[in-house]
Amino acid sequence: MSDTDNPVPVDPRLLEILVCPLTKTPLTYDRARNELVSRAAGLAYPIRDGIPIMLPEEARPLDED
Amino acid sequence: MNADMTVFDRRAVRRHRDRAAASVQDVADILHDAAERLLDRLDDISRRFTRALDVGGRGVVAPMLRARGIETICCDLSPAMAARAGAPAVAADEEFLPFAPGSFDLVVASLSLHWVNDLPGTLIQLRMALKPDGVLLASLPALGTLAELRRALTAAEAEITGGASPRVSPFPDLRDCAGLLQRAGFALPVADAEDIRLLYADPLALLRDLRAAGETNAVALRNRRIPPRALFPAALAALPQTDGRIPATLRLAMLTGWAPAPTQPQPLKRGSARISLADALRGDA
Repeated sequence: MSDTDNPVPVDPRLLEILVCPLTKTPLTYDRARNELVSRAAGLAYPIRDGIPIMLPEEARPLDED
Repeated sequence: MNADMTVFDRRAVRRHRDRAAASVQDVADILHDAAERLLDRLDDISRRFTRALDVGGRGVVAPMLRARGIETICCDLSPAMAARAGAPAVAADEEFLPFAPGSFDLVVASLSLHWVNDLPGTLIQLRMALKPDGVLLASLPALGTLAELRRALTAAEAEITGGASPRVSPFPDLRDCAGLLQRAGFALPVADAEDIRLLYADPLALLRDLRAAGETNAVALRNRRIPPRALFPAALAALPQTDGRIPATLRLAMLTGWAPAPTQPQPLKRGSARISLADALRGDA
């Protein structure tokens, strides 16, 4: 099971209010990878079963790309 | 030791909550009772709330808020526990909250902030997440909670090993709670206490309930060795009994605070009085 196969869509109300927990800056929603991206922190927060996982230790560092 | 004031092991807190997501239903009655007492305060506030944040409500608080017609977003350190509240839910660390300023007009944290290391920091972040004139309702176990168990465990451990280690979490004194809210920038802070008295037929059932709620020891300085085999039987046998039952007290500190707004009652500026105190006291003002 992976995060990207048939992802449960994230609730649009969450996209309005979520910010990066470390930098408090806005996030961009990467629909293809089903992640919330914080450019400021260089982290992508995964969304699992429709639940954004806003925990820095579970985020993917962006320079892996 | 502990130069950064880390009292709690947050990884252990996360682990306990992940595990408890499957068992928390067993203690839903107690959690519901505690949440009901906290939400009672909403009935005294004559305004409508449009969007609430439920912090660590373990799937109990969010449905109660939604039943009152309030759109509710739940967050929990454990994704599994957050999922219990139903969508929309977020996994978030209370010490690093991911919410934009002014996202909510109500924040409810029912028995969920007592494993946070930086409580003032968390309260400041919650205040920022509130709109002006938004309300924070929080309940924390205060000093006096599980006092019987703490005394029994400390005495038994000292007896058996000649030393003692923290086995029941440190709880704040009620007197400090209102000050804590004020320090975090809340207006009109109020803290009062309510006791929930539980009676257990069997002391092991008390420990089972604590485990089911995810409330096992996560104090960073806890003794990680397996406790001496005799410790828990000796401590549990020493617990005071009432009619053959074991009383356990949950002393809840109920905290209410408001995000500051210009419409709230404000103290007058120093020196702005037009009547002297001496005249007022003489009664001819």
